[in-house]
Amino acid sequence: MKRRSVEAEARIENLKRFGACLAGGFVLALMVGTQEGTQQDFGYAFRQSVAMPRILIFLGIGVLLYLAITFGPRAKPYLTRPGLRPLGAGVLTVIISLTLLKWTDSPQINTGKFRPLADAAAPTQALDSLARLWFGSAFSQTAWLLLIIVTVLAAAGMIRRSAPLSYAAAILAGVLGIWAEYASAAVSKFLHYPSHATGGAVAMLGFFTIAVASLVSARSQAAEADTDGFIDRVLGWRPGLALVVLGFAVGLVGVFNAAWFSPGDRNATLSTTASMFGATNLNGFAQTYLDWLGFVLFFVTLVVAGVASYLRHRLLAYAAIVLGLVSTLLTLVVVHDFSALGGKQGFDGAQGAWDNLGTGAWMTCAALSLFAGAGYLVLKDLRIEAKGVRAGSDIVGSGTAGARGQVAAATMLVVIIAALFYPPTATEFWQTVLVSEIGIYVLLAIGLNVVVGWAGLLDLGFIAFYAIGSYTTAYFTGRLPVQPPDWLLLSPLACIPFAIAACLIAGVALGFPTLRLRGDYLAIVTLGFGEIIRVIANNANGFTNGPRGAFNIPAPQIHLGPIHLTWGDSALGFWYLLLVLIAIIVLLFNRLENSRLGRAWAAIREDEVAAQATGINTRNVKLLAFAIGASTSGVAGVFFASQVGSFTPENFVLNNSILVVAYVVFGGMGSLPGAMAGAAVLTWLPEFLKDQVPAEDRQMWIGALILVMMIFRPAGLIPARRRKAELSGLDRPSSAEATAVPAGEGM
Amino acid sequence: MSLLEVDDIEVRYGAIRALKGISFHVEEGEVVALLGANGAGKTTTQKTVSGMMRPSLGEIRFDGERIDGLPAHDLINLGICHVPEGRRVFPLMSVAENLEMGAFRFKRPDPQLLARCFEMFPRLKEREHQYAGTLSGGEQQMLAIARALMGKPRLLLLDEPSMGLAPLIVRQIFDIVREINSTGVTVLIVEQNAAQALGLANRGYVLETGEMVLSGTGKELLADDRIRAAYLGEEITT
Repeated sequence: MKRRSVEAEARIENLKRFGACLAGGFVLALMVGTQEGTQQDFGYAFRQSVAMPRILIFLGIGVLLYLAITFGPRAKPYLTRPGLRPLGAGVLTVIISLTLLKWTDSPQINTGKFRPLADAAAPTQALDSLARLWFGSAFSQTAWLLLIIVTVLAAAGMIRRSAPLSYAAAILAGVLGIWAEYASAAVSKFLHYPSHATGGAVAMLGFFTIAVASLVSARSQAAEADTDGFIDRVLGWRPGLALVVLGFAVGLVGVFNAAWFSPGDRNATLSTTASMFGATNLNGFAQTYLDWLGFVLFFVTLVVAGVASYLRHRLLAYAAIVLGLVSTLLTLVVVHDFSALGGKQGFDGAQGAWDNLGTGAWMTCAALSLFAGAGYLVLKDLRIEAKGVRAGSDIVGSGTAGARGQVAAATMLVVIIAALFYPPTATEFWQTVLVSEIGIYVLLAIGLNVVVGWAGLLDLGFIAFYAIGSYTTAYFTGRLPVQPPDWLLLSPLACIPFAIAACLIAGVALGFPTLRLRGDYLAIVTLGFGEIIRVIANNANGFTNGPRGAFNIPAPQIHLGPIHLTWGDSALGFWYLLLVLIAIIVLLFNRLENSRLGRAWAAIREDEVAAQATGINTRNVKLLAFAIGASTSGVAGVFFASQVGSFTPENFVLNNSILVVAYVVFGGMGSLPGAMAGAAVLTWLPEFLKDQVPAEDRQMWIGALILVMMIFRPAGLIPARRRKAELSGLDRPSSAEATAVPAGEGM
Repeated sequence: MSLLEVDDIEVRYGAIRALKGISFHVEEGEVVALLGANGAGKTTTQKTVSGMMRPSLGEIRFDGERIDGLPAHDLINLGICHVPEGRRVFPLMSVAENLEMGAFRFKRPDPQLLARCFEMFPRLKEREHQYAGTLSGGEQQMLAIARALMGKPRLLLLDEPSMGLAPLIVRQIFDIVREINSTGVTVLIVEQNAAQALGLANRGYVLETGEMVLSGTGKELLADDRIRAAYLGEEITT
């Protein structure tokens, strides 16, 4: 055989790549194509997808992709300019807002997305003219045109490295961001519909990202972007400042623009609410808050948190924390007071405490808590620095590790605050999704992460423990054919210890004989266990009520002295209950990874023989992982049973076990935040896609996302340190100090 | 009384008898070598002593107490530390973390002992924060030995420490074993490298297909014709 020359090889490679890109375009055409077929004509959908002019567009995308891959390296010096990636992210965010997201929830606008809204809004004379211009009068859809202009301007500024252009782009983007939110708010006001739609806010965020990117480009001296360095400099420098800025943006909208009280179509902002209640006998404090104290608290806390962050001042940081938390509480009290009074007075069908609220109060609360969080970050920063100084090193506080820790802490604070204050502003649909999909699966993923991620035991029957928890609850609340003795009838929350005990026993019973198995063998046994539990539940008629399942399980109640809490009507209440459960479990598990037990798990995962040789009681330690994971699942089961009220064995099929494993792997095996993020994203996505793609296509898009993740982020969304090392081939040292040793110097 | 007495133990893998009744003893402060070809039962013997396998017949006594059938984690508490075959460091833990794992039986690792280990193995100190999986073979073997030392052994079981290493490093490893022994740690070493092992050992035993065929002091065995033929590759001219 003749040996091919290097050029010939390269040419063949090139051809292959070209073919692959075209095939990719073809697949994409099928993916976004129409999916409907008919009984007579099964090829209908296929032919529609690859119909002549249409397919050319997708093949064109393939060609573009090919060109990008082939000539990408040549464009690299431009692509690594500072600010270009954030610019891309910002533009993408705006495009998503303009194409995928809802701009209004009003049923008057078909689908509520930007395009139908713009078509309706542009010719509406009664609408505010500035808002109308946003949706398009001279040109159709001015927003798109403006987006293109600002993108071109910003990109030109970056590529030509011209500061004036970049500043112009930044200013324009800032104005556009405010304009977008303004137009969105004007539409909500015009339609008299309390809106939960995120389109306007996301567009604002996108434009602000573009503005920041342009500022970075204008200010940067470097020819190449240095993201790590940027993070170090910005967040390592003043870690709280990012939270203050975020809080400022959210709070401004909350205090001045968003609705605080919206019985009927009123959509009253803070000041309008004040005048609404001016004539009523609202208690003095609440009235004062509505009149002026709310604004004052917001700005005072803003200033204190901002100054504390900038000066890194300990006392001011404490002040920011106290002010932020106290004013959050005050806001909640006031909201309760006026909504209760509004209900009593029957303002336009106001129903009572905590009802008919807009987003404003919650955004204000979020902003105030963010300021408190900024104070906390300042204190943390000072602590890190003090430690660094004491250790005689000047790099600990300001170095990469310190900055990374601060970024993680800041992100965590934002997530916690969002979990607290976003759900009340969400639509009922999303509240239900949050509780019965996202929340419960996050809890399950936390539990499975102990077994799969930390101890490295693949458990494919995890949902069985969830079932055991649910059936335990049904038993102790007296909803199964077999009844507990009368004195043992419990409220659902009191079942938690019993469910944990039942799951511990089941976990040990499963683990004791099987844990000497490894890897795939263990997976198959656990899979069998899951099925056995389900089949028993399905067939043991006299005990589990068979396929009819358990029903009428009461909602949880707490009666402790003066405290009376009942759940039942709204998903929101369940969400906060779930949040408390998750918080307790995360706090318990947080220290586990680096504890003695956690290290024993890590050792077993890496090498069981060596673990045995270092004196770890491998059997007990593995059993413990099983038991801990199982009891978490049991808690989730209790919650599930009392939240839905009725369930059947069909709720505990094998598919759910596999899903939980997928969530943990997707999020990052062995990383607690990763497992939670993975579960949250993969349970949120199908619900989000409901609005975006035909129902039949949903799984395909999720599959595509998982594929992309596997290629570009194989260790998961938020990878655990060890797992990341495993997949990147150990080539990165575990800490900065190790780089002092020359690599590859063997013995 | 010997530190370790192995009395006529038989070990089975299912129907296969890997050890067919072998006996030996190790005195306090000695280095004893177990020699033999592949499949002779050396590793099985060590695994049985360290508690990873159970003998079906026979007795093992440590310090006069019966220990056969006790699990490995109990034996470590008695001071029997095992460096398993093929090094088996934890690849995704740093060198320091590996050493900490070696001291797992204590609440926290002894800092003086850690310093001593780093003194004995300066290479490991240099690579303290590197993943163990990135170390060279010799370094990993040193780490495995150091890890076992962190458990404060009275009896150290070494399973083929020279496997797959360059001759120069093998000599270093054996020097270190001698040094460890001089601090009062008794060593039971399994080797195929008979010359090196017998040069170091006070006494040696030779196993063949699960049976003890020879025993004697290191020097005697080194001089034995059968040993020279089987393990030192010398032809015997008679």
